[in-house]
Amino acid sequence: MSVRIFRWRAVGPLLGFAIVAGVLWLLFGDRVARRAAEKMGTAIVGAKVEIQRLHIDLARGDVTVRGLTVASPHEALKNLVQADELTADLDVVPLLEKKIVIDRLAATGLRFGTPRETDGRVPGDPSASVAGRAMTEAKAWSQQFQVPALQLATGKIDVGTLDPRNLSAIPGAEALAARTDSSRRAWQRGLDSLRLAPTLDSARATLQRLRGARATDLAAVNEARRAIYQLKRARGRVTTLERSVTGGLASLRAGAAGLDSLKQRDYATAKGLLKLPSLDAPEIGAALFAPTAVARFERALYWTQLARQYMPPGLQPRPEAGPPRRRRAGATVRFPREHALPGFLLRTAELSFLLDPTAAGPKRYAGRLTGLTSDPALYGRPTLFNASAPAVAAGAMLDHVHATPRDTLGAAVRGMPLPTFQLPSLPVRIEPGRGTVQLGFALRGDTIDARWGVRAAGVRWARDSGVAASPAGDLVWRAISGIADLDVTAGIRGTLAHPRLSVRSNLDEAIAARLRAVVGAEVAAAEKKLRAEVDRQVDAKAGPVRAQVTALQTEVTGRLSEQRGRLDQAQKDLETRLRELTRIRVP
Amino acid sequence: MLTLVKLLQSLVKALHSEGTPGQVAAGIALGSILGLTPLVSLHNAVVFGLIVLLNVSFPAAMLAWAVFVPVGFLLDPVFDRIGHTLLFTPSLTPLWTSLYNMPVVPLTNFNNTVTLGSLVFSLVFFVPLFFMSRWGIARYRATIGERVKQSKWYRAVTASKVYNLYRLFRPEP
Repeated sequence: MSVRIFRWRAVGPLLGFAIVAGVLWLLFGDRVARRAAEKMGTAIVGAKVEIQRLHIDLARGDVTVRGLTVASPHEALKNLVQADELTADLDVVPLLEKKIVIDRLAATGLRFGTPRETDGRVPGDPSASVAGRAMTEAKAWSQQFQVPALQLATGKIDVGTLDPRNLSAIPGAEALAARTDSSRRAWQRGLDSLRLAPTLDSARATLQRLRGARATDLAAVNEARRAIYQLKRARGRVTTLERSVTGGLASLRAGAAGLDSLKQRDYATAKGLLKLPSLDAPEIGAALFAPTAVARFERALYWTQLARQYMPPGLQPRPEAGPPRRRRAGATVRFPREHALPGFLLRTAELSFLLDPTAAGPKRYAGRLTGLTSDPALYGRPTLFNASAPAVAAGAMLDHVHATPRDTLGAAVRGMPLPTFQLPSLPVRIEPGRGTVQLGFALRGDTIDARWGVRAAGVRWARDSGVAASPAGDLVWRAISGIADLDVTAGIRGTLAHPRLSVRSNLDEAIAARLRAVVGAEVAAAEKKLRAEVDRQVDAKAGPVRAQVTALQTEVTGRLSEQRGRLDQAQKDLETRLRELTRIRVP
Repeated sequence: MLTLVKLLQSLVKALHSEGTPGQVAAGIALGSILGLTPLVSLHNAVVFGLIVLLNVSFPAAMLAWAVFVPVGFLLDPVFDRIGHTLLFTPSLTPLWTSLYNMPVVPLTNFNNTVTLGSLVFSLVFFVPLFFMSRWGIARYRATIGERVKQSKWYRAVTASKVYNLYRLFRPEP
């Protein structure tokens, strides 16, 4: 019996199944696509992406998105962007290759920084997503800046506790005392080893014999000559010891003098223990505005790093996380090929956006984005964005065509209401009003060159009434509340691993001058008190050591002089008697 | 419980269907591909079409699908490793690049390590599974199959409404 291969009667149900699938797609396809787009967008941005309505018309190659909201990954209750409508002209054929090519996108009603009611940030393990990793890296990068804290929180100058272990003169004095004792013992041994007493006794005995001898008593004369020779040798030993003592004493005296320079160093150390307010203008600028500036640079870095992750240079196979599913996601590998279409390409986007949307008559501006692609090496041109209007100029270039990516962002907004910001550690807020904000950010490979600046002419200062008044707050308030202009410039240069931050503002010198005037006397008094404390602690140790050195010097040199004198006297007596006896000068 | 009963029904129907052991074994082998590989893939639509259109045992395929789904979950790390090895073998890169830039093929998700690894594994496993299943079913029918067919519970299973649906897809002689 032969078995038929095909089950023809199942064709009907299979077709029915296909028709049902088609109908389900027609009914729920848009919803499925909307959810997929929200999921994908959320994964890409690292914050919630919400779409009110999405419609796909495959026959015409149109995709329409209405009510797009992209939450900010940096701020809990703020949106990054909202759009009324996005209409994409989709190239259908590349969809068969699972590639999305949008010839033209029109976005209308774009609004930036609008408030939202719920936290749009995505919780979870940051290392599990590209956006999470980029965020972690950007945060780690920003935390490497040592922003000086404005030490005015207490308004008091605290002398603190001076720990003797922090003073270098005390261990120096102890070391010198030990050296003095050691030298004393060494020189005592040296004096003892001179053995002058037998030589002197012998010389005295020879002199006595010589006094009773005649000129012809050659034995006595020779003995006297030997005694003189012994005295000369003994004096040579004294001279050698004397040289050693002189060098040792010079070293001890230098050590004693060194205690003074150590004490000077201790003054500086003790001054460092003071919680002094910064009186240096650039440090004040950094303390006041660096956190705000670094936050701006951190955001720019986040977006550029994200762009580098999703738009990597080169044509090598690239693994990325597989689709989220119940089973293991694995890794999905892209295999870009020269002259083929990229996985994603947005050729042109016309953007219409609103600035100052809460104003009575919000202004509508236009921008243009070209060449946004997942494979820049295939597209061969950088991604460009520009938007210009009388009050706004913004531009960006993401050039990942070559091996070393170059990302440049720049924006300047003039005459727009600027956001209020708080001065760190002070109950003072700046309400810049309308002014100019500029941001320039260039990242070439890992070399960064960024600038951020704010200029406003009608600044208002507000004190935070919820915080108790403090002398520091009063001080800064008095210094700046009369200033109507604000001009802040912050910059970062160097590599991502070793960036250098500089911040300048017109408030720096004003606050510094006020601080000098108010706290200068208090600083001087605190320093005087601290020097007295250093003197007390150091002198208690260094004074006795100095006295010890002086006493040793007196004692040793005295004893050496005495010994030398006795030797000299004995030699002189012998030589005198010999001369009288022989009338011959002894050579 | 209901799932277990349905699984039992499938097992009984598959083993006692009018189909030859080869038809049942082919159903099992094709169904194993559905179970071992991630379901939402284009190749599974093709496999499902083959199960429906080819004169193989449909219940056997559904049974194999159900049985091999947990096996697939368990073996995912192995599939991931197989797929990773294949996709990153330099000598195969031109092949993958060609397939990646070819119409329709990328829709199969072949460039995913788990999908490729599980598909390759299930295709390699297809032939031994087919022959083992065919031998096992033949042995079953020759030994205890007839006695089971005479039992009350077998009649109860075959009398259920689900059986009518099954008859639509049962193998034809």
